[in-house]
Amino acid sequence: MIERRAFLAQGLGGLALASLLHQDSQAAAPPRLHHTPTAKSVIWIFIDGGPSHIDLFDPKPTLTKLAGQPLPDSFPRPVTAMGLTAHSPLLASKRTFKQHGASGAWMSDWLPQTAKCVDDLAFLKGCVADGLNHVGSVCQMNTGSILAGRPCLGAWTLYGLGSVTRDLPGFVVLCDYPDDPPGGGRNWGTGFMPATYQGTRFRAGKTPILDLAGDDPAQRDKLDLIAALNRRHLAPRRDDSDLAARIEAYELAYRMQAAAPEAVDLRKETSRMQQLYGLDDKATERMGRACLMARRLVERGVRFVQIYCGAGSKWDAHANVEANHAKLCRESDRPVAALLTDLKARGLLDQTLVVWGGEFGRTPMSESGNGRDHNPWGFTMWLAGGGIQGGVSYGQTDELGLYTVAGKTHVHDIHATILYTLGLDHKRLTYLHDGREERLTINGGKVIAAILKRPPSEAAEHGA
Amino acid sequence: MRTVLCLTLWLFSLPLLADELPLFQPVKRPAIPSVKGTVRTPVDAFILQRLESQGLSHAPQADRATLLRRLSFDLTGLPPTLAEQQAFIHDPRPDAYERLVERLLQSPAFGERWALFWLDLVRYAESDGFNQDALRPNAHRYRDWVIRAWNADLPYRDFVRWQIAGDELAPTNPDALIATGYLRLYPDEYNAAQLEQRHQEILDDLTDTTGFAFLGLTLACARCHDHKYDPISQKDYYRLQSFFAAFYPTEVELTPAVARDQWLQKTAAIRAEMEQLVAVKKQTEAQKGLDRFHAGIQAIVHKDPALRTPYEQQIAYLANKQIEGYRENAAARLPAADKKKYEQLQAKLAALGPEPRPEMAMAARDVGPLAPPTYRLIGGDWRKPSRSLITPAFPEALGGGKAHVVARPNSTGRRAALAEWLTQETHPLTARVFVNRVWQQLTGVGIVATPNDFGVQGSPPTHPELLDWLAADHMAHDWSLKHTIRQIVLSATYQQVSATASVPEVDVANKLYWRMNRRRLEGETLRDAMLALAGNLNRRAFGPSAQPELQPELTRYVWKPDAAEWDRNRRSIYVLARRNLRYPLFEAFDQPDLCTSCAKRLSTTTAPQALALLNGKFSKMQARAWAARLAEASPPQQIEQAYRMVWGRAPDRAEIELAERFLNKWSLEDLCHALLNTNEFIYLE
Repeated sequence: MIERRAFLAQGLGGLALASLLHQDSQAAAPPRLHHTPTAKSVIWIFIDGGPSHIDLFDPKPTLTKLAGQPLPDSFPRPVTAMGLTAHSPLLASKRTFKQHGASGAWMSDWLPQTAKCVDDLAFLKGCVADGLNHVGSVCQMNTGSILAGRPCLGAWTLYGLGSVTRDLPGFVVLCDYPDDPPGGGRNWGTGFMPATYQGTRFRAGKTPILDLAGDDPAQRDKLDLIAALNRRHLAPRRDDSDLAARIEAYELAYRMQAAAPEAVDLRKETSRMQQLYGLDDKATERMGRACLMARRLVERGVRFVQIYCGAGSKWDAHANVEANHAKLCRESDRPVAALLTDLKARGLLDQTLVVWGGEFGRTPMSESGNGRDHNPWGFTMWLAGGGIQGGVSYGQTDELGLYTVAGKTHVHDIHATILYTLGLDHKRLTYLHDGREERLTINGGKVIAAILKRPPSEAAEHGA
Repeated sequence: MRTVLCLTLWLFSLPLLADELPLFQPVKRPAIPSVKGTVRTPVDAFILQRLESQGLSHAPQADRATLLRRLSFDLTGLPPTLAEQQAFIHDPRPDAYERLVERLLQSPAFGERWALFWLDLVRYAESDGFNQDALRPNAHRYRDWVIRAWNADLPYRDFVRWQIAGDELAPTNPDALIATGYLRLYPDEYNAAQLEQRHQEILDDLTDTTGFAFLGLTLACARCHDHKYDPISQKDYYRLQSFFAAFYPTEVELTPAVARDQWLQKTAAIRAEMEQLVAVKKQTEAQKGLDRFHAGIQAIVHKDPALRTPYEQQIAYLANKQIEGYRENAAARLPAADKKKYEQLQAKLAALGPEPRPEMAMAARDVGPLAPPTYRLIGGDWRKPSRSLITPAFPEALGGGKAHVVARPNSTGRRAALAEWLTQETHPLTARVFVNRVWQQLTGVGIVATPNDFGVQGSPPTHPELLDWLAADHMAHDWSLKHTIRQIVLSATYQQVSATASVPEVDVANKLYWRMNRRRLEGETLRDAMLALAGNLNRRAFGPSAQPELQPELTRYVWKPDAAEWDRNRRSIYVLARRNLRYPLFEAFDQPDLCTSCAKRLSTTTAPQALALLNGKFSKMQARAWAARLAEASPPQQIEQAYRMVWGRAPDRAEIELAERFLNKWSLEDLCHALLNTNEFIYLE
């Protein structure tokens, strides 16, 4: 087993070690790396509201054939979120699907730019989740449970690996729209873990972090006075590491004031780069900003970035899936493809895991005539970079895209796989809470070896 | 495979565990040990017994300034004023400390302070959570009841009984009915389509939270399988749940509306006109609401209420609440012309004055004298009930036995039976769990360090005899919270210093209490303290919550701040508790998520906390107001007073010089602002 401290010190130098010690002083010592990681950072593009796999990645000729008819009797009728959808007529996809790249991956015409990157993507086409509604399902996709109160994936990542950057939070949340995803901050919260590991939501505009603007001319002198008084206070209390940690927290806050505005200042990028991400186009600007910012943060050592795409359940196309998804795909396709190609060009894709997916997919049955209901029984996500084998597809839904029939990938499996790329074994990354060794995957989860460049049998050479 | 293993493990270990778990045996009052050191209350004897066995003793008593600050925050959540400091530090009477304790215990701020930990435990909030996070405008009555109950020193026995079954045990007492608001605090997705699931989730939540808050047990695991670690079986879980099986939400009228008849009369014509305009739309909207449900639920809604089973009544309640929501939305969905007409009528109606409404409380009752059936759910899945019917009974490991349930005319009597059982003096957990929480509030760590897990996996008690003695003493003194607090704060153990020159190797973590623990103030307390220093604290108690100022980025999503600054400046316990976005200063300082029971807050140290106090508008505003108060004194006194107010002690020469040097360049307001960021303010010695 590799000591996580040794690994980071080797890989990233004294800076990381210092920040790690800083982290250690803030909370109970987290566990160690369990095997050699293939990713250092994660960018999860969270497709908020539930994208329709049937209209994006998972073409279903049978659905086209049976359009207008009810779900055949051979299919069990699911209880759907909106109640009556199980009895509504099937709705064919109006999209044109084509195979792309050397891998021949299917992709609809809604995602022309992402289609150029398919050989870097691994598709999970048999995803399943437990929730029916947004708040529970978004919660589960983040925390493993549909009920609130548990730490999210990003928090587990920081708990397991610590932060790399000294000047920025280790876990950052970005939203394209100013709305919260369902459940708000609980999705990047720490539940029963120390709040140190929580995600910090950056906001659009001039104040990406609350109270970050230190425009106080007296500030440096105030900080010096505070530090002087705190050091005097500490002198007879040296055994209390909290007091020392708070002195350091003020310095980190001070550095964040300086570092964070620079990190999120997209004007520092060339106009060519801004164009690549679509900042020159009103439609793509929001998501483009988030994606470009994510790349800048990852470059600066932020461990986990989550981008809510269509923040506030915008992909929730109960009616008129055509108009809804056409708009959101138009807004996000170019920025997402730009992120992939940019990371690749900078050599960062090898160490950055990119995840694309929402809380569930959508039903082949129609709702309101031209919309689709929630489908947690079979949907698609994709992963890229960070040790993921590009150009593969794992899992399969039935001929209508309703239920997973092969390669079932539960939320816990997705989490186990992501932790795996980071060098963490989901069964051994535990946190003692109320008498139970809690873990992200609760009591499930298996690593999806089929999409890894180095599946566990080979990669776990350092494992126990 | 896993389940089989768990089950085998459990079957194998059950007889052993139940016998060997002293915390699951009835409380016996232990004899008070004799020790060498100073014993101010029996608490000290138990603490010294273990200290002396390790060759340790108490640390010296803290000075008066430290004790005053510690007691003021612990009992009232507020810093001592300059006058209070003067009075206590120079009080020559031998019982000055005892008098101080009494004064603080009688302060109305006492209940406001002690409500906080209880509200954490019962995951109190004033909104639903989930996606809509709809507000609960009457939820605050439960909060106010907790504050009043602690202030009046309501015996904990009754405090428990009323929350579980106030409607059955004291149906004519409005306080007891408000207390049943405890049963309404679950996060709720009122617009869920799958109502059978929602109903089961509410029952699960009630069972789990009752396990946490009153029993100090983690039951939730037993929902799906036999409890891996504790001798609480899945059957026990559903037996406990069956006490709540007849649960039915209700709104209780506390005081009738004033002059409602007159209002109804003078507005009758307008309202009739409005109703006519919207009547058809209401029907179609209600139909839309109904159509969302599957046929089974629709059939229940259509059924004659008198013919519904108790379970159907519960489901109908949930369905009708949604349908009613659709109906109420009808006006907004009228065609443009009608909508305009409707809005004009609305304006006319508003001109006649607001509708007088009665004061209401969120409460709970039973659906009727018959309870719906409870089944053990396989894997905790509501769709997989096992065949045998579960009837109310108590966990085997806690004495077991069938509940003696006596039905009332409109109520099953089940919750009353649960409440009676919980508050028997022979109950092994209720009093132990409670005094442990009180101990934790006052020292930072429980005698059982896992206050919501008294089971096998929890931490064993550091001082089991002390825990038992406190529990026995609590019950013997009419379950009085204030009595138990006195036993602790009057002890020499509580009065020790927290800063010591050396740390004994045998007990680095201070499990034996050879000194007092240092604690960080909560975000709520920091806010109250800043308001108090600034002279800005609005002490108006009770009633609808305050909505303080937010960062401009948040205003759109959380709440509209109260117009008058004075209204925003009420104590933190009265700040609106919204599940989906909490007041940022509280959140930064580890306020729990308001969705699950929290028995012990985290105490983290993060940069956003520093940013909140350093750059946040709130601390700057309070610093300004505080400096204005200080400006009345002469300049040398300003520094002295500032330190005394913020730290509760006089500064030394070096501290004065640091401040003087700072003031050469910056204002008194800047100095005050810096002092609000010091560790000595943020931590309690």
